[in-house]
Formats: sequence, C-alpha cells, structure tokens
Amino acid sequence: MKPHRQKRLGIVLFIAVSLSLAIGLTLFALSQNIDLFYTPTQVAQGEVAAGQRIRIGGMVKEGSLYSADDSLMVQFATTDYVNDVMIHYEGILPDLFREGQGIVVEGSVDAAGVFRASRVLAKHDENYMSQEVKAALDAAGASATNHPLTSQPES
Amino acid sequence: MVRPGEHDILLTSMHNLNSRQESAVQRANYMWMWFSKLGSPKWFYELSGKWLPWLVVAMSLLLVVGITWALLFVPPDYQQGNTIRIMYIHVPFASISLAFFPLMAVAGTITLVWRMKLADMVAKTAAPLGAWFTALALASGSIWGSDIWGTWWIWDGRLTSMLLQFFLLVGVISLRSALEDAEAAAKACAVLSIVGCINVFVIKYSVDWWNTLHQPSSGFSLSDQAPNPPEVWIPLVIMIFAIYLFFAVSLILSIRNEILVRERRSQWVEELVQGT
Repeated sequence: MKPHRQKRLGIVLFIAVSLSLAIGLTLFALSQNIDLFYTPTQVAQGEVAAGQRIRIGGMVKEGSLYSADDSLMVQFATTDYVNDVMIHYEGILPDLFREGQGIVVEGSVDAAGVFRASRVLAKHDENYMSQEVKAALDAAGASATNHPLTSQPES
Repeated sequence: MVRPGEHDILLTSMHNLNSRQESAVQRANYMWMWFSKLGSPKWFYELSGKWLPWLVVAMSLLLVVGITWALLFVPPDYQQGNTIRIMYIHVPFASISLAFFPLMAVAGTITLVWRMKLADMVAKTAAPLGAWFTALALASGSIWGSDIWGTWWIWDGRLTSMLLQFFLLVGVISLRSALEDAEAAAKACAVLSIVGCINVFVIKYSVDWWNTLHQPSSGFSLSDQAPNPPEVWIPLVIMIFAIYLFFAVSLILSIRNEILVRERRSQWVEELVQGT
C-alpha cells in the first residue's frame, strides 16, 4: 500500500476507534437509565422513591390475579420469583395477559403504598412453537414456560 | 560436490520454487486487478447486467415459497396465534437493516483511502435503501407490538436504537444533498457511516445489555419437540434469503442508475444510450 494511503487508513481507523470508545463509555455510564423497567427486587430494596413514575417488569404471579365483576379493575402481584409487588390497574389488558405471563407495568406508588398502574404491557419471550409442540412439552414436564426475565438468548 | 543425479533434482526443485513464486506473484496481481477492476463502473455495469436476471429469478422463487409457507402453512403460535406470521416479514427486514451501516462504512473507507469511484456510488445508493428497510422493520414491528404487547411504541433499548439508525440514515442522505462539492460530500458521508457502525452493535446487543420490552434473539432448534422447531424457522430462513436478494437486486439497480448518471459523459455510456 502506498504511504499516503496507509496514512489515510490510519486516520480513518483512529477516528473509528476513538469514537467507539467515547460512545461505549457514554452508554456504559447511562446503562441504568436505558433499562426499561425495575425488577420487583429493586423496588423492594427501595431503589425507587414513592410517587416517582416508573415501570416494573416481572411475571404475573400464579394465583394472585383478582378481577372485579362490575368494573375493569384488576389486582395482581408481579414477581421475579424473589420479591413481589402488588399492582392495581383499571383498564383494558393485552390479550396475552394471564397468570405466569411476563408483563411490564407503568405507574407509581400512591400515598397508601399501593402501586397504581396506568398501563399494562405484555412481554413475550424468544421461543416460538405450535400449540401441539407446547402441549407435548408440557406433557413431558419440560420447562418451556415464558420467563422473559430469566431466559438467556441462545444466539 | 554435487553428483550428477542430485544436480537434476536440485535444478527441478529450483524450477518448482521459481514457478511457485511466480504463481504467487501472479495471484497477487490477479487479486489487485480484480480489486481495481471492481472500481471500474463500466466493468460493474456489464457484470451486474449478467447477474441481474438470475438474482431476480432466485428472489421471486424464494419470495413466493417463503410468503406462501409463512402465511398458510406455519402453525399458529401457542401464545400469539396467527400474529406470529408478522415475524416472517419483520425479522428479515430488521436483520438486513443492520447490514447497511457496515456496508456503507466499508465503501466509505475505500472511498477515503483508495478514492475508488464505484465505492462512493455504493455508499450513496445504499443510504436511501437503508432508510426504507429500517422504516419497514420499525413499521412491521409496531404492528406486531400493537397486537401482542399492547402498544405500538415504547422507548426501550432495541426500539430506540433502531429509530436512531433511521435518523442517522436520513442524516447521511441530507448531508450528501447539503454539500454541493461531490467529493467533500462523499468524504463527510464516509466518516458519518463509519461512526454510525457503532449503533449497529448497540441495536444488536441492546436486548442483552439492558432490560427491554423487545424479546432477545431466538435460537434455532433442530428438534421437533422444542421451542423454535424447524417448522418455525425454515420458512423464516427462506424469507431472510428472499429479502437479502431483494436488497441485492434493489442495490444493484440503483447503482446502475447512478453509474449512468455519473458516467454520462463517457464514451461507453453514450454508445449504450444511442444503441438502444
């Protein structure tokens, strides 16, 4: 390679590497703020101030769901299998909402210490299969449950 | 002392050594010729003209097979039912979207270091295509999200970094049209493309680095009795190849247009235009 081209390539590489470093460090410093939600354990450890608007992500705890007969009010616990947070919500739930499902709720803790959600979103994991395969897996007792908080990507 | 027999062997081996060196030099020469030929717009125009029909045929076949399979024969998902079929559009567009900045960065580096004409044409035509592909990935994702998540948009790591890529691509396009000096515009766009590559890593690993509403990337399972079985991913792989070919065809077509515009004063283009 000719010297002047080598020099130009050097400059290009230098710009790319130094900018990657700068942006990488910025993202690392901001990583707390880039997280979409707090886990119930983070809430239990008092990382969130009362009245602060936050999102909590977790699973709908089995057996915790209570829905009112005469209104859209629902009450359930969201859990990361270490700690639970009770959620109160009045509104339309996504189709995927059910016990054992991963969800993200948006809202804040009111004066009475109750988390009032203004929005409930369903989270799904990266595992796709037909009803038949799911049924076969369940019958075999294999764990294919929807654990968006704990699952690790395979690739 | 060299005995008669050995002398012959020595000569033969020296001859072999020489011819091997020669062929290595030749190979390097061929490589270099190929590399500099690649920079010749006329050569690319002729070669791509021969490739195009085959690429279009392969693309059409894969598109027809892939879309039919995805829409009619993939079993409904155990959680998402028929909505899962959006994946067969969303994933191919999203995955090809990540190729644009690396492509433009490689082309940009060649422009900056070797001043190759064709490299800047690739960089210039890739930017608007990239914006379209990114927009389609965002739009199909929004439709999927509005049904399954319960919202069409959320500012999580994956969605936000993908939107950033869209704006970066719009930025590259505007930068090029804002600078009147074509060479200065090419250099500026090359630098922005190299910098924009960092965002590709952010998009790719956002779902692993931070908690997001978007799910992480899926693995492929070879077993029929496991999540992501072949009946789910084989049509997806077909669609990914189809959309990659669609990208290749679109890129080649727009590069050919760009060649004709930029080389309009050269003799071979004039002959080509008058010949038709």
